[in-house]
Amino acid sequence: MNDIVEINKATVERGRGVKMKLNERSVAHYATCDSPPDKTGFLFKKGERNTAYHRRWFVLKGNMLFYFEERDSREPIGVIVLEGCTVELCESTEEFAFAIKFDCAKARVYKMAAENQAAMESWVKALSRASFDYMRLVVKELERQLEEVQEAQGGVSCKPKSVRRNQAIRSRLPRMRHRPKKSGVAWCKGPAAMSNGSIEGASSCASWDGSEDSGIHMSTGTEGVRAPPVPPRRRGASLESPFSPGTGCFSKLHDWYGREVQELRAEWLESQ
Amino acid sequence: MRFNEKELISLSRQPSEMAAELGMRGPKKGDVLKKRLVKLVVNFLFYFRTDEEEPIGALLLEQCRVEKEDSLTFSIIFLDEAERKYQFECDSEEQCGEWIDSIIKASYEFMRSNLIFYRTEIHKLTGKDPLEQYGISDETRFQVSNGLQLKARETSSL
Repeated sequence: MNDIVEINKATVERGRGVKMKLNERSVAHYATCDSPPDKTGFLFKKGERNTAYHRRWFVLKGNMLFYFEERDSREPIGVIVLEGCTVELCESTEEFAFAIKFDCAKARVYKMAAENQAAMESWVKALSRASFDYMRLVVKELERQLEEVQEAQGGVSCKPKSVRRNQAIRSRLPRMRHRPKKSGVAWCKGPAAMSNGSIEGASSCASWDGSEDSGIHMSTGTEGVRAPPVPPRRRGASLESPFSPGTGCFSKLHDWYGREVQELRAEWLESQ
Repeated sequence: MRFNEKELISLSRQPSEMAAELGMRGPKKGDVLKKRLVKLVVNFLFYFRTDEEEPIGALLLEQCRVEKEDSLTFSIIFLDEAERKYQFECDSEEQCGEWIDSIIKASYEFMRSNLIFYRTEIHKLTGKDPLEQYGISDETRFQVSNGLQLKARETSSL
């Protein structure tokens, strides 16, 4: 009986009265294909209707958080599209609880709980930066930096010629055949290190070999490392870069959100 | 598979990179071309009936390929269902080219590949990791995968 009430309620709330379509099979394929996930692990998720927490296997890829019944399940039970969400620590009967929240009206709050403190912090961090917007911001920043460096060195631009419409259509960004060579750079084994959601940032990466005097080192809360940028939420134009409208100005966002993070941290520490 | 429909509908109302009325044909045999308002927001392609506020549906643009069919038409093909194509008809060749370009770039995985490329190049040229100053060097999403090749989005040429 409760199920019917829920379905009717949902129908009434929808403007169109019919559930929105999604290319579900392909989305499920993305979950299970061999592209490396950003994070995986067990989490407890509070049920939709009842208040029990269910242990599920979670896979984070890009801005999509998939959840499976079991670690070896072939298909996800569901997915949470994370774009536009905020992740907060929350009050709960469960320990190590956090919530994924959205800005839209009558949005559902996804209450989750991790298995320990480290896992909780790691998941909160990973999820709060999972948006497409954040990735785009960082890409644009690096793109800009690369241009600067190339100009400064007076060298050859890596960018391909601009697209000519009546010929083969290609992306305007550099082609991706390029693999980094072993020029003294050691890359981390990211995904292999991410089982169970309990690996902290510290252990996951090898350092850059060319680091003797450039001061590059593992940034695990060492002094002199700035607060990382909190990814932008989809808001109005106040933080737009004057030079490229429609994008956030990275350093402004960095400062502004950095303060927000510090405030949140202070609040949370006080509540402990 | 469950998904957070409300939030996705809300996302469809966000400012978009590209939005236009296009002819859209579904992947099933016998699907006819219908006029739809097509809107690109982050890595989703939403499609609406032209007079409706809520989308009929959305396509997540990961693990797919974009192909030019003819001067006005492009199609989106998902790698797990290569026989099925979502076709879109534009008003001009220029518009068609713009859409193809935009959709290729509207993939999280595509952006990730580019980021890794830029990061490597900058390090090569300067000896420094450009992410270091922001303290985000360790984030998994910015790492090269452990040997697995990140597949770039493909396009087929004419």
